[in-house]
Amino acid sequence: MSFPSNISDCCVEVDFHQKNCGKQRTGGDVFLSRKLKAQQRVISVLSDGLGSGIKAGVLATLTAVMGINYMSSFRDPAKAARSIMDTLPVCSQRHISYSTFSMVDVDFENDVRIVEYDNPPVMVARENEIINLQRQQIEVARTGKEPAPILLADFHALPGDRIIMISDGVSQSGIGSNSMPFGWGADKAGEYVKTLIVKDPKISAHDLATAIVEKAWLNNGGKALDDITCGVIYFRQPRKLLIMTGPPYDQRKDVMLAELAKNFPGKKIICGGTTANIVSRETGQPVHVLFERIDPDLPPGAAMEGVDLITEGILTVGRVAKYLEDKRDPDNLPQNPATKILRLMLNSDIIDFVVGTRVNEFHQDPNMPVELEIRRNVIKKIAALLEDQQLKETSIQYI
Amino acid sequence: MEKKFKITICSGTTCYVLGGAHLMMLEDVLPDDLKEKVEIIGSTCLQACHGENARAPFVRINDYLMENASIPKIVEYLRTH
Ligand code: FES
Repeated sequence: MSFPSNISDCCVEVDFHQKNCGKQRTGGDVFLSRKLKAQQRVISVLSDGLGSGIKAGVLATLTAVMGINYMSSFRDPAKAARSIMDTLPVCSQRHISYSTFSMVDVDFENDVRIVEYDNPPVMVARENEIINLQRQQIEVARTGKEPAPILLADFHALPGDRIIMISDGVSQSGIGSNSMPFGWGADKAGEYVKTLIVKDPKISAHDLATAIVEKAWLNNGGKALDDITCGVIYFRQPRKLLIMTGPPYDQRKDVMLAELAKNFPGKKIICGGTTANIVSRETGQPVHVLFERIDPDLPPGAAMEGVDLITEGILTVGRVAKYLEDKRDPDNLPQNPATKILRLMLNSDIIDFVVGTRVNEFHQDPNMPVELEIRRNVIKKIAALLEDQQLKETSIQYI
Repeated sequence: MEKKFKITICSGTTCYVLGGAHLMMLEDVLPDDLKEKVEIIGSTCLQACHGENARAPFVRINDYLMENASIPKIVEYLRTH
């Protein structure tokens, strides 16, 4: 999941990974993230319910949902924390809350506010270092209970920063073993985060979270003794995708199209044989049709140096719209050209469409403008689906 | 070795929907003696569909542009040239 942030050269990618305790099917840890589109905020909560299994899961879910709701309605995180602590049930025997949490609120200017209660500390990785966050502790009074110590922190995130949230299943992994009698510890986990980032500076939120959880699991000798959860928020450069379809209305713009294909900073797809031929003619790069018969209903794709994918136009684009509408997962589809487009779309944050509006100049056939209408409408539909369902940023330009 | 025939099959939209889809199988169905003589490539549009009264699908065999192409028609052409 990723959300374009308002600062256009940065976008917020959020993902998490989890292993549930033993054979429990329900996790006692819950990671939830929500985007508030109008305010351009992203709020993420990691909550850990006491114990494991279904009861812990319900409590953790309750806490996480509450956390997201309070965080979104109060600008003041202390207030949100207070409301949550008031509502959280307390274990009658152990007098501790049924669930602990960490909450991260990222606003449209990449200002971050963090609220923590009894979870391992939220880490911020910046340029291969874990930075030291200034934390402020407040005591939140609770009716009939001990006041709860809540930690507050805020900072301004820079492009490339990562926020790592872990549950105690990570920090306490390996506990009792010879190599780490007191468990892995948050600091050691932080060291490991650094090595992962040094090894792969562009590691995605998904891969980083997975690697940390896997390591914790290995510390336990390949077992999940507690729920092991890691959530990562990554402020990264947006991945851009350009989709060119249809020849430009004015033939003099053919050069412009070719320039765009050459210089666009991101992945490039051409949908349409004529469009591909134009770019090929202008750049001098030949088009090779690939005779892969994966799907008899769709014409084969083609390859050209400098372009990531070439497909036929309207049939393929129509299929992409259908896949998006049905919310299909590219891993469960035939690997035809439409699936390849879908995969590239889902892997991108910003998708720019350049739609040529030339109709077949040789034809005086009154039916031909229909083709153009279809092209326009399908692209509009795809862009809308990408925005609404996949939370992508899109633009359509007619040439 | 230079093949005798260079066959370009159009896989553009117009040709594909008007029967070109079948032509993609040409290589598999050609008799062995002919297979040795041909090189098959594809085109995203042979630009022949633009003409008035164009009769897709199109295939180009060396310099000859075949309209309304079908596998029997291609085989017939290869046999007689
Ligand atoms: S689509 Fe075959 S010639 Fe244009």
